Amino acid sequence: MSELHVMSEKQSPPTVASPVSGAGKPLSVTKVRKTYGAMTAVDEVSMEIGAGEFVTFLGSSGSGKTTTLMMIAGFVEPESGSIVVGGRDVTRLAPQKRGLGFVFQQYLLFPHMTVSENVAFPLQLRGLSKQEIRTRVGETLEMAGLSRFARRRPRELSGGQQQRVALCRALVYRPPVILMDEPLGALDKKLRDQLQTEIKRIQRELGLTVIYVTHDQEEALVLSDRIAVMRDGRIDQFDTPQELFERPRTPFVADFLGAANFLPGTVESDDAVRLDTGGVLRIRRHDLASGVRARAAVQPGRLAVCAPEDGFCTGIVETVTYVGTLVRVTIRPDGADTCVRLEIPAGRAPLMGDRVGLTADPRDVSVFDGTAG
Amino acid sequence: MAVLAPPPEPVVAAAATGGWRRRLSGRRTRFGLLNATPVVVYLLVLFVYPIFSTLLLSLKDEDGGFTLHWYADALSGTSLDILLITLRISAETSAISLVVGFLLAYWITRLRPIWAGLVMLVVVVPHFISALVRTYGWIILLGDHGLVNETLVALHVPGAPFQLLYNELGVVIGTTSVMLPYTVLLLYAVMRGVDRGLIAAAASMGAGRLVTFFRVYLPLVAPGLVNAGILSFILCLGYYLTPALMGGPKQTMVASLIDEQVMKNNQWNGASALGVILLLLTFAGLLSLRLVKSVSEAAKNRGGA
Repeated sequence: MSELHVMSEKQSPPTVASPVSGAGKPLSVTKVRKTYGAMTAVDEVSMEIGAGEFVTFLGSSGSGKTTTLMMIAGFVEPESGSIVVGGRDVTRLAPQKRGLGFVFQQYLLFPHMTVSENVAFPLQLRGLSKQEIRTRVGETLEMAGLSRFARRRPRELSGGQQQRVALCRALVYRPPVILMDEPLGALDKKLRDQLQTEIKRIQRELGLTVIYVTHDQEEALVLSDRIAVMRDGRIDQFDTPQELFERPRTPFVADFLGAANFLPGTVESDDAVRLDTGGVLRIRRHDLASGVRARAAVQPGRLAVCAPEDGFCTGIVETVTYVGTLVRVTIRPDGADTCVRLEIPAGRAPLMGDRVGLTADPRDVSVFDGTAG
Repeated sequence: MAVLAPPPEPVVAAAATGGWRRRLSGRRTRFGLLNATPVVVYLLVLFVYPIFSTLLLSLKDEDGGFTLHWYADALSGTSLDILLITLRISAETSAISLVVGFLLAYWITRLRPIWAGLVMLVVVVPHFISALVRTYGWIILLGDHGLVNETLVALHVPGAPFQLLYNELGVVIGTTSVMLPYTVLLLYAVMRGVDRGLIAAAASMGAGRLVTFFRVYLPLVAPGLVNAGILSFILCLGYYLTPALMGGPKQTMVASLIDEQVMKNNQWNGASALGVILLLLTFAGLLSLRLVKSVSEAAKNRGGA
């Protein structure tokens, strides 16, 4: 550990306002806005994030999720709106004055420092004693299972190990909020799964407030307490994974998270839609007027096959694909151009070419204005 | 620059190791030797032979016997002064061209690629012009009635016109302008390799600009600084034209002294001794470059032990 002594002697006086603090703090974003030329990257986004909460910004590229994160971090300045972390307004502060943690997709470890020097760096900035730095670095590396790599240089580590080090470096000084920009984007699937579990475990153990950006809905569902689904610089819906899944508020959310089937029709009453294919589909209560064009959305896992006369519509089974314990079935309803996708338990699978009916629990059916995207 | 050419190592190495006869009999080896022959001959004739004959010349007295007194002469009296002046001017030049080169290279890395290319061209293009023409250009600019002094006088700068030529300042201005492209090119290459994301990463952890510069940026470009500094120092040691034209009598450098000894005094032995000393200084420079590198490597490895 001799190099740590040398390093800390060279250190300059601490320039950071926030000392090493405890667990995660709440964060609130109010009507932040950012435009690039004619393009509105983030359009008056607001959200309240609780202390110790794991929140994910989910969206495709260009949805404004990364820009929002960068505004919270301080790398991008919002044109209007405010950002408050743990009761302190940081909207106009430089990134280094905000005291937050950031984990980058490209790891960005300092190549000229060892693993332990990298993790010690933010503590040295905060003027901690050598003894305390050594203890903290040791504990943090231990927790991430990196102790035996302490003296290595970043380039001697694999991608997954490097990202673990980056994670350690971001949480060793207990920032009030840790921001993560697609941290697992450069890793392969297996490693990603493994690190997701670890990130979640550490976040829970330490009570960290984490804001996580990803375009991978599965990752978002696994990690998050709440997910903000973003599109065109706005938040479509900010809810728990379960709510997003079961009660999508926009067709985009239904499609993006659940890959829902959309069935066009006309609203008949406050709990039914007459489908274009003929049948009447019972739906959950909604606020659309009768006679309005609408689209009913059902997740593939919430549809079931039944006898032709019992369903809201009938169709021919086109494909049956086994994927483990589930079977993916596509059915072409009579008089429709597109197929409906189902995921049903393997034991109840129909045969290809069967003529079947489709049913769904009204509580699982959402309905959206027919013209909405 | 010929001094910097690498010796024909591979051939020597192959012959020196055991079983060289077997090695030489291999078809690939024979082909390799055939290929290496022109280079080996070229280096022997134009590099090894001249150096050895210079060395021999510097060790011979008037009657052809062995002597060290040319070295004694070279390392005493005015000769020694000139040697020290040469070292001082070279050190000043490399220090200034490092600082200016650092700022210039840093600025270029922050430009858009198209502007960076253009500025780079502006930095390098003067090098394609004859050194003589360039030096006269400086003399015109820096003279008592040159553009620089006329401008300063017109601006009523106190003390203007300044003596910018035929003194150490003049020499250093001239040599710095010669070395600048080297330092800029070397530093630019290193700086381009520094991931800007690392700066953002440091900021995200709370590091201010100064801390980021000294703890992150500077260590990452340090190898380039060492290279550029030592290269410009070495190049400056043997530089002839600019010091001769832009300096005064007090700024005579070793190259001018050699010229004087050969052309005026017909004193080849003394000139040879000075040449050998210059060569040794250059080697010392290169050696210190190696040393700095291996020390920093060792420091890195100590971390990995």
